[in-house]
Amino acid sequence: MKIAVSLEEFFDEIADSIVDLNEAKAVELAKRAINEKFDLLKVLENGFGEGIRRIGILWENGDLFLPELMLGGNIMQECMNLLLPHLRSDNKGYSPGTVVIATIEGDIHSIGKTIVATMLSANGYEVYDLGADVSAEKIIEVALEKKADVIGISALLTTTMVGQKKVIELLKEKGIREKFKVILGGAPVNETWIKQCEADGYAENAINSIKLVKKLLSK
Amino acid sequence: MSFQDWLENDSKIILFDGGMGTEIFKRGLTPGKLPDLINIESPEIIIDIHKAYYTAGADMCQTNTFGASLLNLKNYKVDSKIQEINKKALLNIKEACPPNKLIIGDLGPSGAFKPPVGKVTYEEWRSSYREQVKSLESGVDGWHIETISDIDEMLAAVEAIKQISKKPIIGSMTYKNTKRGYYTIMGHSLERCVKALEDAKVTVIGANCTLGSQQMVDLAKELAKFTELPFSVKPNAGKPRLDDKQVVHYDQPIADFVKDIKEMISWGAKIVGGCCGTSPETIAEIRKLLTIFKR
Repeated sequence: MKIAVSLEEFFDEIADSIVDLNEAKAVELAKRAINEKFDLLKVLENGFGEGIRRIGILWENGDLFLPELMLGGNIMQECMNLLLPHLRSDNKGYSPGTVVIATIEGDIHSIGKTIVATMLSANGYEVYDLGADVSAEKIIEVALEKKADVIGISALLTTTMVGQKKVIELLKEKGIREKFKVILGGAPVNETWIKQCEADGYAENAINSIKLVKKLLSK
Repeated sequence: MSFQDWLENDSKIILFDGGMGTEIFKRGLTPGKLPDLINIESPEIIIDIHKAYYTAGADMCQTNTFGASLLNLKNYKVDSKIQEINKKALLNIKEACPPNKLIIGDLGPSGAFKPPVGKVTYEEWRSSYREQVKSLESGVDGWHIETISDIDEMLAAVEAIKQISKKPIIGSMTYKNTKRGYYTIMGHSLERCVKALEDAKVTVIGANCTLGSQQMVDLAKELAKFTELPFSVKPNAGKPRLDDKQVVHYDQPIADFVKDIKEMISWGAKIVGGCCGTSPETIAEIRKLLTIFKR
């Protein structure tokens, strides 16, 4: 086994293990980072985070496909599950944000939403994926309960996308619109629709949705 | 006249039908609804669409059963209606089909993915399609498995058909254009899919949806390289556009689509038709082309 000599090489090795979809290796490196008391925040950002970013680029370029993207996300999530308890106990407060995500009522198309949820989790966000065909009321209820920073609503159909607008209208009615950033997703969603709904943004694919959430929460 | 006769007749180009979903929406039904349920709830609409395609000159049309596999119906919580939907779909198309034209049983994607994307198994795919095939077998002249992204799902559907039926099978995958060529979203290359379809002994190899007619011309060229089997193309009418009222439009002029179809035929396409955004008008224009154009 190759032993990394510098921290940079160690991070590289982690990133490679994610890109190579080598689950055993990724888990082993995560455990090593914990045992050897590395700066876990850096391990997460410069090692695992870098790996998932590289996977994202490969996917955008058509060099990787849906199964690899999901597998990479799943491996990343497994490693995150190992690292997070230590990060939190270190009081470093590693939590870039909480996201509640769902496909709206009347719409059973969940694959796009699931990919976004996986990739957000893989990037360290605390994600509550409520599944498909979820009512506006339920989404808001969970967002309040989990103290979400972001609500993500997916719709594949032009008829169900009105439900996305309903969530935002309901938030306004309740006087809690400012508590959340609301992002929309799904094939028919575009800039015009975002303006009509007064949503905070949309992304055309899973990778851009990570960038969007990051941008919104850094404001 | 049978499907096989047409396939063996070198000068015959078989004209398939065009889009079903987009025609249903034109007749005022909401896109949120599972189109397969309309077979039961408003059969006259489905009969009307089939009739329009046959009248436009289609040699064969497919049953409105794209989403009527057991797994997909389960998604919509109407799986108990699987027999009723498929049987009624058959009655609808029979009412519209004139003599000497054919009826093709349509099987679409299950909506379920195998790991790591989803949880479905090959066996679940196979038995899901099997239930649908059982209901359709008595009335169809052949099969079209279409819009499939995972070659294993395609093979499960082919196996399900072959266990029950001896009729010809058209296996159409849906591809996107990447820098490295045509791949399904699951990462299966055109070449790999063609090989798997040949090994599974389908009658016709096909491609449909996702790509517009222009890109499908390019794919037809590739297909001709990879297989000696007859091939089928059903492209979309360009790219969809959403208007201010969130209504979908396909703006590609029919003449452009037909020009591309002509080119696909010159590359060897044996069966031509359309997918999303194509209409009976499109099929009528292709029929005009076929009466004057010989390969």
